[in-house]
Amino acid sequence: MLTFTEELLLLLGDEEGLFLPVKEHAFECALAGAVLMDLAFAFRIDTDLQALVVTDPAPTDNPMLDYVLAKIVARTDITDTPTWLRVLATEDAAVIREQALDSLVERRILKRQHSRFLGVFRSVCYPTRDERPVQAIKSRIEAVIADEIPDPRDVALVCLVDACQILPDLFPEWEEKRTSSRLELLRRMDLIGRELTGTITEIQSRIISAARAQAQRFRNSLLTLASVGSIAALATLLVPSIGVPDRYGPSLSGLLWFDGFWKQFSGYLLLALSMAGLVVAVAIKKQLLAWISGSHRWRLSHIVLGIGCIFALFVHTGFRLGTNLNAVLMGSYLAVLLSGALVGMVVGGAPRLLKQVGPGKISTVRRTLLWVHGLALCPLPALLIVHVLSVYLY
Amino acid sequence: MFRRLTQAVLVATLLGAAYLVVTMTVAGDRRALLSGKTTDAHHQMEMACETCHGQSVFAGAKAAEKALNKNCRKCHEDELKAAKDSHSRKRFRNPRMAEYWDLLDARRCTSCHIEHRPEITREGAVTVATDFCVACHSQGEQDIRATRASHAGLDFTTCASAGCHNFHDNQALFEDFLLAHAGQPEPARPAVHALSARHLTRPVSTDKALGREEAVAPPHALADPSALDHWVESGHAQAGVNCTDCHVPKPARDVPGAEALVHWVDMPTMDACRDCHKPQAGTFVLGRHGMRQHPRIAKPRDAGRRLARIGLAGVVPAWMTRRLRDPILPAVMTVGEARLPMHADADPSTALGCSTCHRAHALDTVRAAVDACASCHDDAHTRSYFDSPHHALWQREQAGEGPPGSGVSCASCHMPKLEHRRQVRTNHNQNDNLRPNEKMVRTVCLDCHSLGFSLDALADAALIRQNFTGKPAIHVQSIDWAIARSLSNPDAPKNR
Repeated sequence: MLTFTEELLLLLGDEEGLFLPVKEHAFECALAGAVLMDLAFAFRIDTDLQALVVTDPAPTDNPMLDYVLAKIVARTDITDTPTWLRVLATEDAAVIREQALDSLVERRILKRQHSRFLGVFRSVCYPTRDERPVQAIKSRIEAVIADEIPDPRDVALVCLVDACQILPDLFPEWEEKRTSSRLELLRRMDLIGRELTGTITEIQSRIISAARAQAQRFRNSLLTLASVGSIAALATLLVPSIGVPDRYGPSLSGLLWFDGFWKQFSGYLLLALSMAGLVVAVAIKKQLLAWISGSHRWRLSHIVLGIGCIFALFVHTGFRLGTNLNAVLMGSYLAVLLSGALVGMVVGGAPRLLKQVGPGKISTVRRTLLWVHGLALCPLPALLIVHVLSVYLY
Repeated sequence: MFRRLTQAVLVATLLGAAYLVVTMTVAGDRRALLSGKTTDAHHQMEMACETCHGQSVFAGAKAAEKALNKNCRKCHEDELKAAKDSHSRKRFRNPRMAEYWDLLDARRCTSCHIEHRPEITREGAVTVATDFCVACHSQGEQDIRATRASHAGLDFTTCASAGCHNFHDNQALFEDFLLAHAGQPEPARPAVHALSARHLTRPVSTDKALGREEAVAPPHALADPSALDHWVESGHAQAGVNCTDCHVPKPARDVPGAEALVHWVDMPTMDACRDCHKPQAGTFVLGRHGMRQHPRIAKPRDAGRRLARIGLAGVVPAWMTRRLRDPILPAVMTVGEARLPMHADADPSTALGCSTCHRAHALDTVRAAVDACASCHDDAHTRSYFDSPHHALWQREQAGEGPPGSGVSCASCHMPKLEHRRQVRTNHNQNDNLRPNEKMVRTVCLDCHSLGFSLDALADAALIRQNFTGKPAIHVQSIDWAIARSLSNPDAPKNR
């Protein structure tokens, strides 16, 4: 039989073998809660809203549960459930996750797949080898929610998932209003994990309200930066090219736009910034680096790099849009920058836009702009290579 | 759909980029790679990149620039030598001039002339600021404002004003030349251009003259009476030049009688004219009308040879190698490709060759001197010509009221007669004395006008637009300053 932790991990996995974009702290807290729930169901601990008591220190034959149990037995200084949840979430979530994943791989439900992006960034994903357990868990949850007589373990699982507030992530067509009364009933039926899920709910609420405030700050920063980026990209497109002074001698404009060395310098600066922006974007999207994925700061850095690209583009061209291939390159570049900045504006301004238009429209606009962003990006590397080659060959 | 479109764009871009890389390194159409509009001087041959960019693939930036400058010299060196270049490369290669290399490196053409940079390209395809003289002539022994009292308050933007200085050709502005012609009165009227007069009054032998019945041509050609009429009255018939001499290529031309007609060509190329009129053809290809036929224009690249050079000769399939071809440069310039204003009714497909102006059989030098030009060119200067004193003189000469050589046609100024080994020839390079316009002074203007008047007239842009109808409103002080300097310091070296 699978543990709560393993079931939770299976529920959070997607078809590409990555994990649903659940907020990092919520994910860790859910894992900690799942382990404690497993120990409670194994009659090793007992919990209420305040205290966590070890009822039986005997091993469970599950290395992960035994590891956590040993830690709880050893740490006599911590006696309350909320503190244990926090300690396990911060100190042991990674170990719990790895051990649960190892177990799932051993049971041939998941497979471990290593890859390297651009030959540098190591990435591990866990695609599903056997779909049946995942479908079974989901069916159990759906059945429990759909008024069937539940098994205590299923009730606990639903309550844990609900306490972690990840039900909408698991079931995209989730209708909270329709199921709220049933969930309320299930929470009352959960005899073993009631206190534990109550504590998780409380912690999650705190995390989520903090995350909301953080998200608002992120959105404000995003909106500001994206607006700057949009204006700068439009300025590059619309402002007439800057002329050169009709006086002989060193001038900044002459140096920037007609001196071979500085033209190369600004060109390579632009290339470096573009590459950095691309790497950050891919790292976020593909969750290549744990310390990048999920961090607002890195998402903002992508926009900052975009603004840096516009600045470097100005230094390189002086608002000259070029001719022939250079015009195509410039068009592609500006389309990438402008669409990217507009995506930022839509995401950053989403709460404000929600009042004006429905969430569906925002999502459509965001997806379309993202598609344009990606589409305009496609020809860029090839165009850049040809541009650089033609400069050196002729 | 989004995914498929993205994939299609990606594939199309990769294919496009691969094609462009191949066009750069092997062969193919490279017009998409042009980084900017080519100057008027070179746009006719912009498809033949190797004419200027002669370096080998991946040779590096320095080698590319070196090859570029070498190719500039290949085409322009003779012209600069003939103009007694004031800032010749030879002079600046002297190590004693090293201090000037960092200021404005006159050893390299690309210091002042960079192609494909329309936003900084000024008159004369110059890509440095108009006051570039300041680089060297504002310090040390070259500080012109310190050594010449007359130049003390002048701004460097005025150095290259008409009638003052040119960077390369100063033949009409050398100080001793100015002094020699100072105070010269306007020549008596009617003034006559001596070489034109000599050319027009030369004895013409009619010993070999051919008649209509002596024309050797196939029946379909003889069936064109107007062509035959024009030929009979032309200099060709008078000089004994038969139809086969132009319509049959050279090796077959010596075949006697009708046998040569097997090789008959209805529309002979300029090669037929060149056989006899080599000097004229030689100067024609130097000007904008004929530069497409200049022998130094690079031939299309050989894809097979290029692939062999980069070690891919056997790798690329033969069918693909055959398809890799540089676009073939049109053999001649056409009216439609001109960048100067052309008449709306001028046929854009008209190809510029000898017969375009001279007519194929009439060999009409009178038409070629005025009407041929005005049939295409449609600018203020050309339009004003027909109301100008120059045109009045031309009409009088044509009417027999003026002496030979007294008329002034378009060709009189833009294709002047030159003497070479006691022979008078027309310079068919109409760009030879066009810019800077002081180049026209020695070869054209001084035949009929004083130097002072010529310099003033050429400096007056409005007067030029009116085709010299009126008096110059501008006075160039070059001669005055030369006289003043000569009087104040007779021993001072004359600036050449």
